[in-house]
Amino acid sequence: MTYQHAQDNWFAAIVIGFITLVVLVNILRAKLGAQLYIRRIPGLDAIDEAIGRSTELGRPVTMIPGLTTFGVVAVQALTIFKYITQQIARFATPMRLLTGDATVFAVAQEAIYDAYNEAGRPDLYDADSIRFLSDRQFAFASGVAGLIQRERVAASFMFGEFFAESLIFAETGNMVGAIQIAGTTSFTQVPFFVAACDYTIIGDEFYATSAYLSREPVLLGSLVGQDIAKLLFALTAVSGAIISTIAGVDSPIIKLLGQPGGWDAFMQWLQGGGR
Amino acid sequence: MSLSHFIAQWQLPEQGRYLYATLVVLGASVLILGLAPVLQSLPPRGRRALIVTVTFLAGLFFAAEFFLPIDWTAVFPKDDPTRNFLTPAIQPAQNVLQIIGALALGLGTYGLVRLHLRNVVQKRTQWGYSVVLLVAFVTMATFSILNTLSEKQLVTKTPLLETVFSILFDYTLVQLDAAMFSLIAFYIFSAAYRAFRIRSVEASILMFTAMVVMIGVVPLGAYISYTVLGLPQGPAPENADWWTRFLHSAGLPTIAHWILTALNAPAQRAIEFGVGIGGLAMAIRLWLSLERGVT
Repeated sequence: MTYQHAQDNWFAAIVIGFITLVVLVNILRAKLGAQLYIRRIPGLDAIDEAIGRSTELGRPVTMIPGLTTFGVVAVQALTIFKYITQQIARFATPMRLLTGDATVFAVAQEAIYDAYNEAGRPDLYDADSIRFLSDRQFAFASGVAGLIQRERVAASFMFGEFFAESLIFAETGNMVGAIQIAGTTSFTQVPFFVAACDYTIIGDEFYATSAYLSREPVLLGSLVGQDIAKLLFALTAVSGAIISTIAGVDSPIIKLLGQPGGWDAFMQWLQGGGR
Repeated sequence: MSLSHFIAQWQLPEQGRYLYATLVVLGASVLILGLAPVLQSLPPRGRRALIVTVTFLAGLFFAAEFFLPIDWTAVFPKDDPTRNFLTPAIQPAQNVLQIIGALALGLGTYGLVRLHLRNVVQKRTQWGYSVVLLVAFVTMATFSILNTLSEKQLVTKTPLLETVFSILFDYTLVQLDAAMFSLIAFYIFSAAYRAFRIRSVEASILMFTAMVVMIGVVPLGAYISYTVLGLPQGPAPENADWWTRFLHSAGLPTIAHWILTALNAPAQRAIEFGVGIGGLAMAIRLWLSLERGVT
């Protein structure tokens, strides 16, 4: 098996290093007390509204990380679910966390237990509320859809990585009249969530969620760092478009920006005096 | 012996690989099960310090493997110049992750069975569904294990086993999967109906664009454009006037293609860039244990 290495194109490695530096510098700035601004994200403001509705109706809240395997997406999804659980714990609203990945299930049990503890209501923790249904896509989908229908959930939060089963969850939730908030990194599923859910958190807003909800300096700083990195990417894309229009797609600068071995071609071009 | 050759020995050897795999699984189980009481006995600060150190070292390994130059033949002349001395350890590291996943699967299955057994024993609401789940679970597990063992020629493959496994897997599970998947077609229709209702300017633009793309990518689009309206097909001649060029690009398939490649694809790429950067920032926070969410 072959793996990618920085040496394939040092430019990519430099970009990764730069992003890391920008993120760390901004985390430091935030820790030192710099006031950082985050724009409003309506979907996240609606979380409290959805929990309030569930409490009024006395019906459960479902939290679904989908088939997300354990990794950064799962950690982010569980961080959001932990925040939601802390809010739920204040009103003793019933909840169900349904996962299709066993590792996520094991970590979710701990995270939810911690959330109830931190909210001062460890007595409300019920291990049976966190359920591993199946790691088979449509068995998991039918399990979730069945639970949403049987328990007539009032609010459904879907955060994580989703595939074809996303619309089954969202439409079933819609049928029982649940308020639905979804956030995913799977951009192929975004249109389905936009069509079927009340609020959808798109793309990198998913990673902004924990910063938005907690307002922790580390997360806020990281978010500002991400935005600066995005600006760098946008500038690279625009410069690439202009240079490729003027100098052609075989230009050494274009190779440097996006092709394996582009660094070597660029260095040879530089050593040749730009000819 | 160079370090690279030492690490290369971690890869699964052909000879005695079953013994090797069993030893790895047992070793990982003992390590993980042994770590739990050690972690529990440590004070919270010590536990966190241990987790932070292990996380940092694990992340450092993957980062070093990526950033270190690949050609080390100057130092280790017998090395493969297409990979560095840490590369052979990637696969064993991924094997360990798979073993942890398999252990967690046991935990998940235990949780599922425990919940449904309780439902049945305590006759909770809708406990009948739990009976169905438990019966299906035991039957499927039994015949799947027997089938796997028979494929490895550890048990005899009887016609009964073959038939029952085929009924359970090919004629039940696969068909149920297909049924769930086909439901999506109806859900797309109902979701699209709600999304495309003209309630605002944005919804109108969405509906109009969706109609053009949907008709443009199916043969109906070509029929309307080139047969009914009689628009010219293919690219315009090089020295054509602007009106001829316009007519050549006014067909629904051309417009649909332009929407997909010039509007849709860049927007999706922009989202992908954002997701990639967000993931990288999250990974850095986790690596350096700056993330306090669930860690």
